[in-house]
Amino acid sequence: MLINTVLMFLRELLPLCLLLATLLVWHRSVWRSLVLYFALPSVLMLSLISLQMVWISEQLDGLGLELLYSFLYLSCFVLLCLSALKAQWALLRSALAAACLFSIGGSNLLLYIWLPGQAENTPADLVLGSALGVGIGASIAVLWYYLLSELKQWRISSFALLLSLSGARQVMMASALLIQSDWLVAGPQLWQTEQLLSEQSELGFFLQALMGYEATPSLSQVLLYVLCFTLLFWCCSLMEKKR
Amino acid sequence: MRSLRRYLVTVLIALFTLISFVAALQSYKQSAIRAEALFDQDLQVLASSLSQQYQAGSQQELGLALQVWQKGELVYRSALAPETSMSEAEGFSEHNFAGKRWRVFRQTPTDLLTVIVAQPLKQRQQLADEVITASIYPVVLSLPLQALLIWLVVSKALSPIKRFSAQLSSKKANDLSPVELDQVPAELDQMLKTTNQLFARLADAFEREKRFASDVAHELRTPLSVLQVNLHNASQQWQRSGISDPEGSMLALQAGVERMSALIEQIMLLNRTNPEHFQARTEQLDLAGLCRQVVADWYPQIDSKQQQIELLGLEHLSLKGDAFALRLLVSNLVGNASKYSAVGGSIQLELSIEQSNEQQQAILVVQDNGPGIAPEEYTRVFDRFYRVGGDRHQSGTIGSGLGLAIVRDIVVLHQGRISLGASDFSSGLKVTVELPL
Repeated sequence: MLINTVLMFLRELLPLCLLLATLLVWHRSVWRSLVLYFALPSVLMLSLISLQMVWISEQLDGLGLELLYSFLYLSCFVLLCLSALKAQWALLRSALAAACLFSIGGSNLLLYIWLPGQAENTPADLVLGSALGVGIGASIAVLWYYLLSELKQWRISSFALLLSLSGARQVMMASALLIQSDWLVAGPQLWQTEQLLSEQSELGFFLQALMGYEATPSLSQVLLYVLCFTLLFWCCSLMEKKR
Repeated sequence: MRSLRRYLVTVLIALFTLISFVAALQSYKQSAIRAEALFDQDLQVLASSLSQQYQAGSQQELGLALQVWQKGELVYRSALAPETSMSEAEGFSEHNFAGKRWRVFRQTPTDLLTVIVAQPLKQRQQLADEVITASIYPVVLSLPLQALLIWLVVSKALSPIKRFSAQLSSKKANDLSPVELDQVPAELDQMLKTTNQLFARLADAFEREKRFASDVAHELRTPLSVLQVNLHNASQQWQRSGISDPEGSMLALQAGVERMSALIEQIMLLNRTNPEHFQARTEQLDLAGLCRQVVADWYPQIDSKQQQIELLGLEHLSLKGDAFALRLLVSNLVGNASKYSAVGGSIQLELSIEQSNEQQQAILVVQDNGPGIAPEEYTRVFDRFYRVGGDRHQSGTIGSGLGLAIVRDIVVLHQGRISLGASDFSSGLKVTVELPL
């Protein structure tokens, strides 16, 4: 169905678009280098994962793909922390962080497109759905970029906050996959906000892509989220002080 | 914002894309929901029709009319179907019965069996309308949002131009400092640089002009003073030696030098009171007191011409202004009135306050009973170096043609107004100066 294709593209691309827009505001003066550093490892990692997807998913008792994705999400967070901590190589680390996210989203999309049994999706559905998904994701990224630029101009220290939210979101995604693979103990569910703000709603969808909104988070997820958010925010604050 | 064009193009495309695509998705979702309801309704109708077949005598109202003919006999009809055949034509057609217009489909699978199904046209149109309306609504509703966002984006994009224009319009006449803006887009950058370069060139030119006129006048002042003294001495010597001057060459020479001295004095004053150069030191002062001082200054000349001068109106009039400039203004007006009035003439100064456009104005009127000025020359007399009748002014008075130009500059400096008119005497000129309090 058309709507499924749109949602699939948005789910995989919107977080990447938002992170890239944030990084472009950060490294505005060297944006061309950022794009170049992002594109090369992205293509390489996506090709490797796509070509070896069957082999990867068979590893570790069939949990290979989930664990690889968790590793990539965590790598994205660590790279963002390192970028904020040290100015040296910050550009390359930021680009690699975005590349990690791209390789996850890209391989999921390739899997969706080429998965056998996609009979319910006609080629027209795929083309139109992907165009709508990419269009909406890219448009939000452009508006996000200008909004961040505007906030930065007004000297509102929103950049550290938004980058920290974005970094903590990757940890949230990794924790969900690790819990799913039984590599992490979930703990009790802390709250239930499905009725208040559904993850399937437009706003819920956007918040999920931006800051990893979860309607029913577990204790371990919340603890990890808070810890990682604080850590990255501290790194970003240090970076802003150095400037 | 580095470039207005890039900002507008990218943000507007992003906005249009986002809103159009989200509206399209909403249309898709709403249409799918309606279509689902439509299909569910068809299922209900079909189920009702079939159940009716097995419940003889049921008069339940159905959306569809159904007839089954076998060997020319009506073997089944739904409650809404008539007893006669709903259509004789195979396939789709439209007919009237039971007070409605129907869309009818007739099918004859075998020679013996004919099935005729009909649906009211109104119901079909209603269902089609529901689906179409559901798909159009999101697009229509997104239009005001698009308009609002476009307005915000365009306002934001044009804000540097607005700030630039505001800075230019708030500049004072003598402020030639460069315009400074933060975050200048590429399109405005060259305009800003060119404007600032122009300001810099203008400031240089004004400074040069100011210095030139002032320096020339100053340099001429000393030799002219020496010339005046020497002429005076020579005239005395001629008188002592008994040299006669029947053609009055010495007197003409003295008059010429005197005029040149007055001209240089006025040029220096004009330079000092020019609104483009003059930095007014405003203070609270008494205009009536200032007028009295000026009258006292001019009194020896007025007395020598046996003229009458009177100061009417308010005895105190407090206003904010530059004391030097206002004294010069009154002095030039009184001096002109005395110079151009005949022996025994009358000069009148009057001070009052008027309410005009919710603002109080000090009014100074100076009038005389001299020859006056023709109304068509009222505007020209404020031009620099313009004298009524040229150098051959009928009064024969020495003048530079700068007095009223200086007066006008001082009035402009104080954001006031000056007007000329006929005197209240039988002849003469009336000058009215309005200065805001």
